[in-house]
Amino acid sequence: MAPDSGSLPEGPILKLLPLDTKDRGTQRCRLGPAAFRALGAHLGSAVKISLPDGGSCLCTAWPRRDGADGFVQLDTQCASPGSAVGAPGSRGSLSLSRLRLVPCPPLRRLTVWPELRERAGAPAAPSPAAVLEAAQEMLRNRPVSRGHVVAAPSGVPGPVAALHIVSGVPSPDPAGLVTPHTRIGLGAVPPSEAQPQPEVPLGGLSEAADSLRELLRLPLRYPRTLAALGLAVPRGVLLAGPPGVGKTQLVRAVVREAGAELLAVSAPALQGARPGETEENVRRVFQRAQELASRRPTLLFLDEVDALCPRRGGAHQAPEGRVVAQVLTLLDGISGDREVVVVGSTNRPDALDPALRRPGRFDREIVIGTPTLKQRKAILQVITSKMPISGQVDLSLLAEMTVGYVGADLTALCREAALHALLHSEKNQDNPMIYETDFLEAFKKIQPSSFRSVIGLMDIKPVGWEQIGGLEDVKLKLKQSIEWPLKFPREFVRMGLTQPKGVLLYGPPGCAKTTLVRALATSCHCSFVSVSGADLFSPFVGDSEKLLSQVFQQARANTPAIVFLDEIDSIVGSRSVSKAGCNVQERVLSVLLNELDGVGLKTIERRGSKSDQQGKYKELKKNEELECQEVFNQNVMIVAATNRPDVLDDALLRPGRLDKIIYIPPPDEKGRLSILKVCTKNMPVGPNVSLENLAAETCFFSGADLGNLCKEAALLALQEDGLEATAVKQEHFLKSLKTVKPSLSHKDLTLYKNLFQKQGFSNVEDV
Amino acid sequence: MTQERPLLAVQAALKKCFLAVQQQQGLWQSTLADCRPLLAALRNLAEQLQAAQNLRFEDVPSLRAFPGLQERLRRKQLEAGDTALDKLGERLAALLKVRDTVSSHVGQVLQIYEQHADTLGIDAVLQASVLSPSVADMLEWLQDIERHYRSSYLKRKYLLSSIHWGDLANTQALPKAWDRISEDEHQDLVQDTLLNVSFFLEE
Repeated sequence: MAPDSGSLPEGPILKLLPLDTKDRGTQRCRLGPAAFRALGAHLGSAVKISLPDGGSCLCTAWPRRDGADGFVQLDTQCASPGSAVGAPGSRGSLSLSRLRLVPCPPLRRLTVWPELRERAGAPAAPSPAAVLEAAQEMLRNRPVSRGHVVAAPSGVPGPVAALHIVSGVPSPDPAGLVTPHTRIGLGAVPPSEAQPQPEVPLGGLSEAADSLRELLRLPLRYPRTLAALGLAVPRGVLLAGPPGVGKTQLVRAVVREAGAELLAVSAPALQGARPGETEENVRRVFQRAQELASRRPTLLFLDEVDALCPRRGGAHQAPEGRVVAQVLTLLDGISGDREVVVVGSTNRPDALDPALRRPGRFDREIVIGTPTLKQRKAILQVITSKMPISGQVDLSLLAEMTVGYVGADLTALCREAALHALLHSEKNQDNPMIYETDFLEAFKKIQPSSFRSVIGLMDIKPVGWEQIGGLEDVKLKLKQSIEWPLKFPREFVRMGLTQPKGVLLYGPPGCAKTTLVRALATSCHCSFVSVSGADLFSPFVGDSEKLLSQVFQQARANTPAIVFLDEIDSIVGSRSVSKAGCNVQERVLSVLLNELDGVGLKTIERRGSKSDQQGKYKELKKNEELECQEVFNQNVMIVAATNRPDVLDDALLRPGRLDKIIYIPPPDEKGRLSILKVCTKNMPVGPNVSLENLAAETCFFSGADLGNLCKEAALLALQEDGLEATAVKQEHFLKSLKTVKPSLSHKDLTLYKNLFQKQGFSNVEDV
Repeated sequence: MTQERPLLAVQAALKKCFLAVQQQQGLWQSTLADCRPLLAALRNLAEQLQAAQNLRFEDVPSLRAFPGLQERLRRKQLEAGDTALDKLGERLAALLKVRDTVSSHVGQVLQIYEQHADTLGIDAVLQASVLSPSVADMLEWLQDIERHYRSSYLKRKYLLSSIHWGDLANTQALPKAWDRISEDEHQDLVQDTLLNVSFFLEE
């Protein structure tokens, strides 16, 4: 019958079904009779099929047993490289026009490149004769196509795993049949990789990548030089860093770039139930790596290596000890052979056995911290390079906002933004554009992962500076010491100013100390952690100290950050006041002192690349702004609030720790007026109410007292005028003024005022 | 009537081929049966070699009288092993011959079909009757049978080539591994297929 596919340009749609087990390895393609007629195929004709994923495969056409139309089943034994793997389980549909009948002349000669199977216990390569024979057996009576890969059926033993069809006479393009008379030869060189792997650019990880790349490439590039120097190249790297910063990504990218083989093993997956099983698994993995290494440079990647090699020496850790010993000996054994690079990754490097961290085992340690501002910008550039982004999106601003975001978070952010753009723009669905607003929307949804488990992380109700009445000079001072360094780092550097470490707010209760801090957190884009006694104190000895130090550690990972210690007098004690000796509060105090002004940082907290920190002036001028900001943003600032500054330890109050001490005075008359205005903003106030008079009469009232006064007055109005009351009148205010008493007294205020003046501090100002 | 003749020609070729397969299957089975005692002999030899390895000859007083006993014993055992392997090799060659015969028969049938394919058309090929299965089915079965012989032969060949005297444990497990090959694949494939076409053959 004549093929009538010409009249149907698209062809009927065939449903792609999974293959019958019986047909596995037969290279058959099961079709219905209608498809046979449409193609004009005979039994066993060679058919070339372009697969939905872009590859193609060559099959022989056979009718379906049940004679049903509209289905197709494929055995992709001879297919273009890459498409053979995913196809067997795939479901979907295939248009009949993707099937093409191809002529299949018998081949006289054929050149193939064999991909050998690795066999356990037989490291020596099989002889070419054996390979040739196996290849002949595999290809017998098969149609093949140039550029395709013929995979060996899984059940059949033999040295060959797959055969790449390189060339033949006559050229097997589109197809050719291998007969018993075809002379098969082995190609010397592997066919060039048909499709170069898509490059995965790394944002902000260039230094770590260089280090890894060097390890992989040195022995390849300069084998003789290294031999002449008598050097053993370092073969082990430990990557340390919080989750999501791209440790695995980095390893994969470098491996792909260097054309090396990657053997990635997750350490927990090696654990076995029976004694000795884990060691056996470890040995097997290393042996496999060795086998791979005999052919091309190989990188063995042990993910979460801390699960495999914990610190030895505990009470009930004999099994772990054996595993650690096994890994150690294997790492040592590998150093003789120059092929395998072992890379371990962990986010708890301190939990590793110390013996693992010496040259010869893990020679180098690369610490990848949460990305800094510059790195975030680089990452964002990489992620957004393939997204249609409107020109107005300012990546610098976005990088500035995403404090504490790691690479994974930034990816999530961009994805969310793209989704938002897709779902909310009605006009052009075909070529959507991502605008800044999309990013801002996404920003609300994505929380940085490094911040998810932080102690004391708060959702803050945003408060603007203008919502706080009065206290203008205090606001200015706060802005000066906290907001300015973050926003104008250049000016600070020019004037030779350093950023203050900490700020202590003190003053009588109810005078908006906490609210001020809230406004502060709102106005500067930085991480805000609030710690109270409830978070810190625990019944276990040493726990509180550890928690506090953890708070600082996490805050340092997310700089710029503000740590807010409310009611600091209850958290830390004073060594000078209490004589009891060693209690918890004193220990917490000492931790706090250390965190504020310690000798240095722990190595695992290192962030950014070294060049950033050392050669900051060598950088190009256009980056100077960013650089400056970055250097300045290394710090964690602490803000403490108390109403009992007299019980604080003197050591805490010296410059370099809480060096800025700000007195928050009770509101004066003008301040009270503005507070009253803020309090009565949502209140229907009668026309005769004079807030000025009220402000004059409420001497010694704190902000909280004034709020209470307004509330009382409103309640009184409801009580007297019934529930239909519409306005709060002046008499209500006056009446409630009689009942509400000020919480401050003259005595208290003089105490606060004179507290630091006596001791010689000059920055306390009079009200 | 023009359609009938090519169909008859293909069917005749099929009939001839199935008969040949029937005959070769008998040969194949008998050859496999011949292999079994040889494999058992190999296993016993491996056991003996192992036992001789574990024994310390100089510690046994009654054996001390024979100089060089260990070496001589070993040589003897290895010679016996090589003889058994040679015989197995002969059997393997017989299997290969079966495979090649079937292969060439199947190839011929396919060739005949190819010649007539255009005149036959797809419907005639798919047509099955009470007495005979469709030509498509039969061709498919023949291909399956050929592939079966091929893979079965290959597996046995690789198994035998993996024997070496350094690895005695492996040699001792040889008969089991041999049996497993037969169990793994569809053992009765050829028999079943021949039963399917028995009416067609008697026609």
